[in-house]
Formats: sequence, C-alpha cells, structure tokens
Amino acid sequence: MSAVSSILVVGAGQTSAVAVATLRDSGYEGRITVVGDEAHAPYERPPLSKAVLAAVNAEEPNISIKERDFFSDQNIDLRLGTRVLALDTHTRTAHLSDGSSVVYDRCLLATGGKARRLRNLPEEANQVHYLRTLDDARRLRTALQQARNALIVGGGFLGLETASTACDMGVKVAVIDTAPLLMARSVPSAFSKWLQARIETTGTQLYLGTSIANVQLPGNAVHIALDDGTNLEADLVVVAVGLTPNTELARDSGLKLNPLNGGIEVDAYCRSSVDDIFAAGDCTSQRDADQNAFRLESWQNANEQARVAAHSMLGIETRPPAYPWFWTDQFNCNVQILGLPQPGLDYVIRGDMDPAASMPKFIMLGLRNSIPHHALAVNAGGDLRALRPLLEKRIPIDPAGFCDTSVSVKAYSKALLTSVAN
Amino acid sequence: MTNWIKVAQVGDVEEDESLALEVNGTQLALHFTEGEYFITDNVCTHQYALLSDGYIEDGCVECPLHQAKFDLRTGKVLCDPATVDINTYPVKTEGDDILVAL
Repeated sequence: MSAVSSILVVGAGQTSAVAVATLRDSGYEGRITVVGDEAHAPYERPPLSKAVLAAVNAEEPNISIKERDFFSDQNIDLRLGTRVLALDTHTRTAHLSDGSSVVYDRCLLATGGKARRLRNLPEEANQVHYLRTLDDARRLRTALQQARNALIVGGGFLGLETASTACDMGVKVAVIDTAPLLMARSVPSAFSKWLQARIETTGTQLYLGTSIANVQLPGNAVHIALDDGTNLEADLVVVAVGLTPNTELARDSGLKLNPLNGGIEVDAYCRSSVDDIFAAGDCTSQRDADQNAFRLESWQNANEQARVAAHSMLGIETRPPAYPWFWTDQFNCNVQILGLPQPGLDYVIRGDMDPAASMPKFIMLGLRNSIPHHALAVNAGGDLRALRPLLEKRIPIDPAGFCDTSVSVKAYSKALLTSVAN
Repeated sequence: MTNWIKVAQVGDVEEDESLALEVNGTQLALHFTEGEYFITDNVCTHQYALLSDGYIEDGCVECPLHQAKFDLRTGKVLCDPATVDINTYPVKTEGDDILVAL
C-alpha cells in the first residue's frame, strides 16, 4: 500500500468529524483537509427536530460534535462554506470553490444528503420548510414560535419528531402521509398503530393513506387539499419525505452509484468503485448478507462507517459495524430500535402497550423460529441494551420467559446467556 | 473533615445494577459491579436521562437514552454523543451501611 500523507474528507457532518478523529486516534499524523459547504463546524443533526427546535430565548443547546479547538489542535484543516467542485481521479486532485486545489492520497466522500423536495411545495416559499440543517431548524423555530397551526407532510422519524416538538410548543399540528401506517419503513404495523393511537391522544391530527391533490400558498398561509376531499389550512408546512443522497460529485467523478437507492456504492470497507476513494454515512449504498443494496440513514451508521472508512484508508484492521440501532424521541416516548424490520417476524410484547399512559413502557421483540431479529423498546433503553447480546448471538427466546415481568430484562438476558454458554 | 452521608445498605443494589439517590438536592447514582460500589452523578451530561436506568458492563455505565458511556471509577466520558465527564464521589462501606462523601 502506498504511503498516505494527505487525506481529503468531502463533507463536514457527523461522519466527517468521527472519521478525522479516528484518523488521529489511530496515529495518522499526515495532512487532513475537511471541506464542508455549511457555515458551521460539524454538529449533530438529531437535536435539530428536538431541543434545537424547542429552544427558547436563543438558549440553543450546544450541538457541536467536537470542542471548538479540536480541529486546530489536531492539525485538521477545516474549510467551511466551501465545496469541492471536481475530483480529478487520475491526478488525485480536488478543485475547490474557493479556487484552491488539494492533492490527496485518499479521499473520503461524507457528503450526506439533502431533504427530498416536493415540487408542489417549493422551498423558496416563506411558509414552506425543509429540515436538514441548523439554519433550517432556526428558521423553522422562529416560524413555529409565531404559528397557531402547522401541517407536516411525512409521518416518518423526522416528521413525527417535528410534530411532537411543535405540539409541545403549543402549535396545533396535522400530519399527512401517503402510507397508511406511521414510520412504515422502520417498524412493524402493530407499533405503527400503537403510535398512531398515542399521537391522537395529544390532539395532533393524522391524515394517513392519503395524497396531496392541490397546494395553494397565498401570502402567509398554506392550503392543502387531500385526494379524499379534506381541506387543510395552516400558517406553515414542514416537508419531511425522506433524504436524497448528495452524490453529484461522486457521479461526476465516475464512481458507481446504486441504481435503486441512488447511494454511492461501497463495500464492507467503505471502498468505492474508484481506487483511493472511500465513502461513508448517509450518502452510501451498502449490501446486506444476501447482497441486497440498502441505504442506512442513521446516527449510528454515520459513526460506524466513519470508523471503518478511517481504518480502511490507513490499511488498519477494524471490527465490523455494530448491530443496527436507531432511536427517536417523540410524544414523551424514547423509542429505541435494534435491527431492521423484515417480513415474517412474530412479535411478542413485554409490558403494557397503553397509548394513553403518560410514560408508556414496553418492549416488542420480533422472532422467527424463536430467534430475535428486531426489537423495539419504548422508555426502556437500558432493557433494550441488555437484550442486544441475544440478537447479536441469535439466541432463541422463550416468549413466556421474556414476557414475565417479575424477572427484570437484565436478569432474563443474563440467565439466557449463561445457560447458552454452558 | 469529610462529611460522610449514609445512602443505602448492602443488598439494596444487585450486581451490575444501579440505584437512584438524591442527596442534598443532588441526583446521584449508586452502582454495584464486580464486587465494588461506585457513586456518580445520575444525570447524563449529554441529555436529561438517568444513568441509574442504564446498563453496566466492564466497569462502565451506558446511558439508556443514546448509549453514551462513562467509566464508573473516573467518570470519564468514553464515547459519543456525550463529551463531558460525569462527577464521581468517594464511597465507603461501614458494616452494612454504604456512605458517600459530598
């Protein structure tokens, strides 16, 4: 492997910050250049729909991933408000929007994604909001503080968290989604239905399994007509209908993109189809054990792929990515999920699934032939963590034992692991 | 002169478990693992969550909300998303009593 003395990271988000920290932690002392088009040093996006949106009196929480002097202390050249316009993969030179060039031995594309736009809800309109960046969140916060009501298009993680925060801010909220079930891409239908019942107890209105027939944007209002004839009106609309990966640079540089999901194709070491170019985070397409392509848009994946890519660029062994894990905080529930949804799972439930409880607490475990493949925990994060080894090691579960609330989940899991070990 | 305050009794906390305490208005957590007691702040430095609801493994406690990890002995933060250490407090046992020094 050729010597590495210059590494370029395109993108200055979660993946980028973790990748460069990993490079330095691994003993790499060569040049690191990070180029990001936002004006802010790397920050966490999950709080944008929660604490940042809800902030009062400009007391915004600090969401920087690294302390202020981290990049200079670690000799990382952080160029904000700048884009990489082109990559010459033969000379390994990047041409930047500020007129400069960077020669690299290894390049990591951590370009993330952009909120997917709907043509009938243009972002230029004052009343229309897309939420991906800190600047988006600040603009939306100001608008919500003055709004009586809001429409949210999209009933996935982001749409629902935004709805929850807006609801807490005293705004009357309606959520619209073409799917008949909430968070349909991520959870089983039983959970979607429970969540729907819970959200309805808060007065938030849900219009599911319906499409937008017409949009009017007069002055400072939004009028949306649904295909079932319902007419909705609000002060603003937030559109949260998914993420489009930022892959223009990759495409223009000849990297292979996945035709189904649009992500930059990478292998288990985050290598792209072009030598010395790696990709990690929301912009990538990965393959599962059955070679199906998928994009994994999660905070954990950003961190895990960042680590894998950094070690891979240096030619260092790394451990494989952690078992997939997600969380969402909404409507007084910390919901944590282990694993990805898949067909053919039978779910057993431990605890009481009362949608009207002020703080519900239960765990759903999805089994196939007794092996757990998917787990959802509401307000039971410590318990979910205790179950994780059972999913990782594919240990068969006896539903009666799991659901027996006289035994703590930690004790149940420990006993099962011990009996399997013996 | 150290002020030792009794907070619990031996047997109140099981192996690899934690107990939430409030002492003089401060939220603390008493942890028991590998035969030793540790006392730390109970509130995660990343976001409001109780470490006493978390998960103990290898001398560390993981926050139940987003799995930030802290060393029980030193309070040092070991992984994202937290970046600030938690406070630890001296703990001792006298007979069956467990005491903390604030």
